Amino acid sequence: MKRQVAASLLCAATLLTAGCAVQGRRFEKASAPPDNAVIYVYRPYHYGSSLLRPSVTCGEDSARIGPGGYHAFVVPAGSGPILCSVEGAETADQVEIDAHTRVYYIREEFVWGVLSGHPHLNPVDTDQAHTEIAECCVQEP
Amino acid sequence: MRGERRVMRGERGAVMRSSLIPPLLFLAAAVASGCSVQQPPPAPAVAEAPAHPLPFKGRLVEGDASAVPPAVAMSLSSTSAVTFIYREELTHDDYHIPLIVTAFDPVTYVGAPLGDLGVTAFASLSITDGDRVLGDYTAKVHVSKSYTLYKEPTHREVEQGARAAVREQIDQKLYRDADRLAEALAGAGQPAAPAADK
Repeated sequence: MKRQVAASLLCAATLLTAGCAVQGRRFEKASAPPDNAVIYVYRPYHYGSSLLRPSVTCGEDSARIGPGGYHAFVVPAGSGPILCSVEGAETADQVEIDAHTRVYYIREEFVWGVLSGHPHLNPVDTDQAHTEIAECCVQEP
Repeated sequence: MRGERRVMRGERGAVMRSSLIPPLLFLAAAVASGCSVQQPPPAPAVAEAPAHPLPFKGRLVEGDASAVPPAVAMSLSSTSAVTFIYREELTHDDYHIPLIVTAFDPVTYVGAPLGDLGVTAFASLSITDGDRVLGDYTAKVHVSKSYTLYKEPTHREVEQGARAAVREQIDQKLYRDADRLAEALAGAGQPAAPAADK
């Protein structure tokens, strides 16, 4: 009986610490062809809403990012603003990026909603993003 | 004797009632007129000029022609010697009330704000004629919209609001300075385009 309880507790502790975090490689800079902008969308690890993986779209590319993951969107620069959007079960969020040949960071975060978390796309300054995205792993397709 | 006493009591009662009336009247008057702090009348809003072209034309050397203040957009010419340099920057500052607070607050469930999405837009416009700077204008606007459990704006909506507001501010500064700019250009020998009806 004690062994069963211990096993259950160990299992719960493992789930709590590991969560459903993305298990890819640690953050590394993406290479982009000239005349392109890179938009990193990252999702710092947080246990809340960890089961939600709404689709994030930037330009023509899209990805579902798990907690602790990131995805690098390479988009053509100088062709007008690029629309990044995320659609949750209850709400959606959009943000426009004036894509020049540089790097942008967007943090995906969840605030709570009626039945499920509401996703937000929050553009973040480079300095702040560097420390946060360093903890994230690449979202494997 | 009993009758006299009764009369005396009755008179006293009447005196007491009549003495209560003035304070009650005063109280009623105070309640009716309000004892709240009187708000000063709002300052008359400065009439904002509607969008119209500037009294001169200019060439956009930096910035996106589709994302400039309306007055600049209406005054663009690819052949003008006068140049416009327009820059716009947005910074985001979202605020979320901690979940531990909102989760136990009953007003959350009737639609009280859970936080707000904020965007600060900073814009700068330089107008130059060769090496001479004719004008340099900056504007900064902060726009925020709150979100609730049931309704929330998108970041894009807040951004668009901030962009429109900061461009409007640049426009108003330009309109206030338009006469001086036209004179400066006329002094430099640049033809000033006829101004639209202001």
